[in-house]
Amino acid sequence: MFGPTPLRDIFLVAGFELREMTRSRRAFLFATLYFLVAAIGSFAFIDVLTRVQPLTAPPPFFRQRRAPADLGPRTPANPPAPAIPAAPADTSTPAQSRLFQRGSPFRDLLNSSVTDKTAVDFFLSMPPITLFHMLISLTILPFVIMLTSSESIAQEHQLRGIRFVALRTGRGEFVLGKVLGQAVTVALLTLLAGGICMAIASYKLQDFEFFPTLSALLLFWPRLFSYCAAFLGLAALCSMNSSSTVASRTFSIVGVIFLWAVHHDALLYLGTLDATSAQAKAWRFLDFFSPYAHQNDLWYPETSVYGVAMASLALLAVLYVGIGLFFYRRRDL
Amino acid sequence: MTAAANSPALRLEGVGKKYGSLQALNGLNLEVPRGSIFGLVGQNGAGKTTTFAIACGFLKPDCGAVHLLGDGPFNAKRHRGRITALPQDAALGRDLTLEDQLTYLGRLQGVTHAKIRGEVDRILQLVDLTDRARHRTKTLSHGMLRRLGIGQAFLGDPELVLLDEPTNGLDPRQAHEIRQFIAGQRGRRAIVVSSHNLHELETICDHVALIDHGRLMKSGTISEVTGRNEEIQIVLAAGPCPLDPIRAALPTDTIEWDESTQTLKIRFVVQPGREAEDIIAIALRVLLDNHARVSSVARGQSLERTYLDMPSGHAPPVLPSTN
Repeated sequence: MFGPTPLRDIFLVAGFELREMTRSRRAFLFATLYFLVAAIGSFAFIDVLTRVQPLTAPPPFFRQRRAPADLGPRTPANPPAPAIPAAPADTSTPAQSRLFQRGSPFRDLLNSSVTDKTAVDFFLSMPPITLFHMLISLTILPFVIMLTSSESIAQEHQLRGIRFVALRTGRGEFVLGKVLGQAVTVALLTLLAGGICMAIASYKLQDFEFFPTLSALLLFWPRLFSYCAAFLGLAALCSMNSSSTVASRTFSIVGVIFLWAVHHDALLYLGTLDATSAQAKAWRFLDFFSPYAHQNDLWYPETSVYGVAMASLALLAVLYVGIGLFFYRRRDL
Repeated sequence: MTAAANSPALRLEGVGKKYGSLQALNGLNLEVPRGSIFGLVGQNGAGKTTTFAIACGFLKPDCGAVHLLGDGPFNAKRHRGRITALPQDAALGRDLTLEDQLTYLGRLQGVTHAKIRGEVDRILQLVDLTDRARHRTKTLSHGMLRRLGIGQAFLGDPELVLLDEPTNGLDPRQAHEIRQFIAGQRGRRAIVVSSHNLHELETICDHVALIDHGRLMKSGTISEVTGRNEEIQIVLAAGPCPLDPIRAALPTDTIEWDESTQTLKIRFVVQPGREAEDIIAIALRVLLDNHARVSSVARGQSLERTYLDMPSGHAPPVLPSTN
């Protein structure tokens, strides 16, 4: 399956894939779909933020504070000291997003949707725009990846361009090179989308918190990428075993919906089953193979939780590509 | 020299391939000598493209054995850079330049980074596309794409090149240049050419195989297959043919006269000191002495005539020539 210099070939194929992606409509389609949704989402979110802010921001207030000398019983010789303005709760003027963050609707929303107190505190420490960007990315990226990456190898079959390459390198190197090229593209585009999100936020929000937002985006980016990697593996599986781009795209989308349904059903049944029953174990086992099963854990602050989720997603990526290669080695080109 | 170095460039033994109910190859035997220009002839659906695809490892045969360069069936580890092909109907990516495409394929094939630039320039020059080097392949015409396809098959130094209808879609001048180039490769590498242009194959090939319904019907050198060393055809201008003097001069050979086409056919057996040229010399001397007017002389049948005379479909297969 592998040629004499597998790594060299993988990098050659990946480099070529990157060049082809940047010059073809695939990268353009990916970027357009993803950036459009991310940008519109960011705009909408910030709009909501700016509307909600006056309702959630703590009103300016003065706290009655007494000077040190202003102690003891009130007597004519000891009149009350004049009121002095209290220091704001924060050391600087709070940013709009911070105010939103500290406002009760956001806290209530988190408390109602996240049961883990540590996670709620973790989210409250993040600029909300980053959470929103992560949420949007996790939701749409599987579909964007399926629509674009699933074409990569299938197109080679459709045009039979694979026949020029198959004489020069192993099928394994070819597939891994293609997947690597796709992965680099996704990595770059997700970073770029984060940049766009920041640009919009800095333009629209007063007192935009640049560094906290940047560090939060960078903190989440590896998690987002590991999630994407699992779907890239699935796209590769479908792509290498399809003869046309249409078939590959269809299989990929159906595959994503299937995996989502597996996770959804698993959640549904696990709620009704005895956790120790064989059925529950079977559902948990099945659920493991759906990237959606690991999505939730990516949000947690503890390395032991999100780290395991990332490792599981990476394993799924390897598994999907491995299954695809198993059949791909045997198929006619 | 190892056994692999002495073995044929390509050998197929009883190869079969079915697409659903369609038997594309039916126990095909084929042997392509090293350094030869080998023509593969057959009607549409005879199995030429399937033969190529199986030889290249694109398709897996249902039965039989494939030996490439004496080293088993295609394996990227063993055969990378030693075998190249121009597959039929395969298209290179549309969005990159010719330079990019050739660099990519050349590097994958094992051409070093230091040599790739020169190699790409050589190929572009070979197929007359130097001025298009930085154009995207989607801007090329059909003929140009075909030339690029041929060019990529000659990247590096392959030992076996499989060309599926290489001159299809080329203008006469380009086709001529490609034929000249292919003919010039004789002895340096084995080239298998499939084409419907039998005159072209007759011009450039030294070996040929005729296949029909996935079976080998005839195979050998062009001389063997077309009977160049078995038959002479002399076409005369209108008038009588001095048959008796010729029969007297060539008593051991079979002489036939076809009055409708004014063709004299002499079938002979080559012996030491008595080759086709000697027979032609004797026959022409007798004809000229008897005031016959000679229009043309040809050795054997044309490849086209041989192909057309071939019984279609149901004849038993013939094993390849061993020379």
